[in-house]
Amino acid sequence: MRIKFLTLLSIAAMLFLAACGKSDADLAKAVNDKLSAEKIVGVTATVSGGVATLTGEVADITVKNRAETVAKTVEGITSVTNSVTTKPLPMATPAAADPSLTGKITENLKKAGCTGASVSVVGGKVTVTGEVPGAKYAECIQVIQQSGITGIDNQLKKGS
Amino acid sequence: MSAQEKYQSLLELANQNGTTYELTEGDNGTLVVTGTAPSAEAKQQLWDEYNRIDPDFKSGDLILNLATGEAAGGGMHTYTVESGDNLTKIGKKYGIEWKAIWDHNRDILKDPDKIYPGQELKIPM
Repeated sequence: MRIKFLTLLSIAAMLFLAACGKSDADLAKAVNDKLSAEKIVGVTATVSGGVATLTGEVADITVKNRAETVAKTVEGITSVTNSVTTKPLPMATPAAADPSLTGKITENLKKAGCTGASVSVVGGKVTVTGEVPGAKYAECIQVIQQSGITGIDNQLKKGS
Repeated sequence: MSAQEKYQSLLELANQNGTTYELTEGDNGTLVVTGTAPSAEAKQQLWDEYNRIDPDFKSGDLILNLATGEAAGGGMHTYTVESGDNLTKIGKKYGIEWKAIWDHNRDILKDPDKIYPGQELKIPM
């Protein structure tokens, strides 16, 4: 009787394991399939004990985040270690030489009614000084940032 | 923390509202985002997010250089309805009101509350 009981127990245990256990290899395949279905290129998943580790290099951080979100939706994945890196960015080039950028920004600031602001440009990097009305502030900064510059030192003050 | 990490929610928002962009690196690790927003509203959303992350744009670690699609002549974009979508939700992705989508798709939609996965909607830009 006792032996029969143990046999039943072990059969039950085997059935239980078979039902709940997707192997790590199966899970890794599921994650990688889902990543490619979501058109996430350059990320590879490995799985150990239900924990997915993502590696690879992607264009920007939003792809890295999306890969993690996708991996978490795969059933059986308990957590995700995101070791994906982002590609080094190409260097920005200023849209024009410093004197011409200075002239263009000054003109656009005037057009936008930001006459209190003044700019100087060195190597594409703009230093903004002066004071503009608080209501105009964001607009004045937009004008400057949309002129093809590669850096900004914002010392512009908000007036009343 | 890199500027990309700092401004990741802004970049996520750009992907959601239909802004296309390229990233380059400017002066001393400055993140330079050069792109085109589908509408003035979408562009404003991104500037609001910038101001939220970096109040008054003082840090100098992001250059946000966005044009708007409208200025470039406008036009229509096609959006394919996904399961769980409604016009308000789709409108938010583009920074426009649901009614603008409704107005441009009355020929294929009978009821603004009834859209189906796979339907192609015209999105005014």
